[in-house]
This record gives sequence, structure tokens and C-alpha cells, in this order.
Amino acid sequence: MSLWKLALLIALFNLMTFGNGPVMIPLLQTHLVEGSRVLTQDQLLYAFTIARVTPGQANFYVASIGYMLYGMPGSIVATLAIILPGYIMIPLLHGFEHLRDSRWIKGFTNGLTVTSVGLILAAVLQIARGTLTQPLAWVVLIAMLVMTQLLKWNIFVALAAVSCLGLLLKWLL
Amino acid sequence: MPLDDTLAQASELVSDDFRILPAQPPNRGTILKTVSQKQQSKDHSTRITSGELFSIFLKAGLAFGGGLGILAVLEDELVSKRHAVSRDEFLSIYGIARIVPSGTMTALAVAYGYKFGGLSGTVIALTALSLPVFVLTIALTIAYRYLRNSRLFDLLPVTIMPAALALFLRLNPALILLAGGALGALVLQKAEEQNDTKKKGSEK
Repeated sequence: MSLWKLALLIALFNLMTFGNGPVMIPLLQTHLVEGSRVLTQDQLLYAFTIARVTPGQANFYVASIGYMLYGMPGSIVATLAIILPGYIMIPLLHGFEHLRDSRWIKGFTNGLTVTSVGLILAAVLQIARGTLTQPLAWVVLIAMLVMTQLLKWNIFVALAAVSCLGLLLKWLL
Repeated sequence: MPLDDTLAQASELVSDDFRILPAQPPNRGTILKTVSQKQQSKDHSTRITSGELFSIFLKAGLAFGGGLGILAVLEDELVSKRHAVSRDEFLSIYGIARIVPSGTMTALAVAYGYKFGGLSGTVIALTALSLPVFVLTIALTIAYRYLRNSRLFDLLPVTIMPAALALFLRLNPALILLAGGALGALVLQKAEEQNDTKKKGSEK
């Protein structure tokens, strides 16, 4: 499989799944691991674990896959393959701006606003189900809520503090 | 007239955090500006320089928890701190970004980069947003051999993941209420499932 075929494959899967990181995994599994056998199951899982450890966007594990297969050029091409479709946003915004004052669009926007809140909540719940699996996770969550909501600490300071708390409790218990 | 209506609605919705001054209504809530409008609006509306754009998106790129973590930082920086975008507009742009067939946060970086700095702005925002994750991903891939069997990954569920979850809840007070209720329902459901399995176990 050539570098460009890989880029095309990733771009295509990215479009198909609307950039949803985890949903792309089964597609990559069937094509790269079972299909052309350029990647081992272990490598794919490791790439996905990286995505969960690193901050930032969740679908950047394709950079890891690109690196495993073709080194630095591979990772850059794979990253561009998932970033460039984002530019579709510009014509969408232009269209939105032109029609902004029409009554239809106003209704549409109001709908979008409400739907967005719902979508965010749905995503939060989905992650919560996978994350809050042990009592210690609840302790860390509550500590973080207190620090950011009540004490108004800086996000990164609070993040470091609760991470240490989690490690300490895990070590003590 | 229609624009004024939108603004009036918007100011009602977001009056707690953000007040629209009557003297400068045409500059608020506009997503895109032509070059001439840009010149006019320079004195009135909040401008974001390329340097600021870079630092905001770098901060967002350092946020844990995927898309929602990034969204929380962006909301904090653009809406709460700088008032560069109204809360209503922020949610609308998020809604549009969901439609784009690429990562939603990638689309947001393009949108805000374009809004505050044109095409070069999109490059700045995208670079800043992707830099931390790209560098870390490559570094960890190189370390693949050494980290493979390490217990480092077991510690995540008790440190960063639940903390990131708390950050999502900062987005909207209504979310906390909704999430509280939904989580309560979830816990009850789990408890019932456990009861069921216990009953089945005792029957055997």
C-alpha cells in the first residue's frame, strides 16, 4: 500500500464517520489489519490508546498510524488528510451569514442552539459511562468540580492537583 | 430591523455574561466580515490578534478529554473572558461544525481562524490546536517499544479522565442539572441490574 493510498483511505473514512475518532477504528481494522495486513492488531490498539492519553483532538491517532507505516512523511500526510476537510466550514459559514436574517434561518439557528446543548450532554454521558467505573474516579470528578466551580482555580492547576490526588489515593488504597 | 431583532433576542438570552451596547449593534454577532467592514469595525468590536489566536488555540490544544475539553477552553476564552463571540453565536457555530465531515474541533479552528484572521488565521488556529497532540502522538509512537507493557496506562481512569469530565460540565449550568438527573437514572438502572443478577444468583 502506497502512502497516497493510505492518505486517501484515511480521508475517506474520516468523511464517512464525520471525523468521529473512535468510529473510524473498526474501518481501519478491516482495511489495514485484516485486509492488507500492513498493521498489527497491537499497533492499532496502541495508536488508539495514544489518542486517549494525549490532549487535543481525539482522531490524531492516524498520525501515529502514518508514522508506524511511513515515518514522519506518513504522519504529516495522514494528519492533513483529516484536517483539510475542515475547510468545508468556510463556505458553510458564508451561506449561513447570507441567510442569517431570514425567518427560516432564525428558526434553524434557535434549533441548532438547543440541539447543541443536547449533543454536548449526550457526549458527556457517553464518556461518563466509560469513565466513572470505579469509586476513585467519582472522587476525582467531585474534587475537580469543587476546584473549578467553587474555588475558581485555573484549569491546568486544578488538573494537576486532582491527578496527583488520584495517584495518591490509588497508591494508598 | 431583522438584525436588531436578533440582537435583542441574543441580549436577552445572554444578558448575564454579555451586554450588547446600543451604540455598536452592527458589529456584534456577525460571523464573517468583508474587508471594508473590517476596517470600520476595528474601533468597536473585540478584535483578536494573530498572537492571541495562537495562544487561545494552543491552550485549547492542551485540553484533555477530546472535543469537549477543547470546547470548554474555547468557550472560556472566547465567550466568558474576551466577549469576542456571544454565547448564542458560539453554540450556532458549534452546531454548524457538527455538520462538517471532519473533526468538529478542526472545523471550529477553521471557523474562528477565518473569523478573526482570514485564511492565514485558519492556518494559525489549526497549527496551534494540532501542535501539542501531534508532537505527543509522534513521541509516544516512537516510544512504542518501551511503553508497550507499562502500567502507566492503568492509572488514567483515576486521574485525567474523570477530571476532564468535570471540565465539560462547566459549559452550561443547565447541563449540570440535566447531567445530574441523567446520572441518577443511570445509577438506579445499574443498581436494579445488580439486584436482578443477585436474585438470579440466589435462585440458582
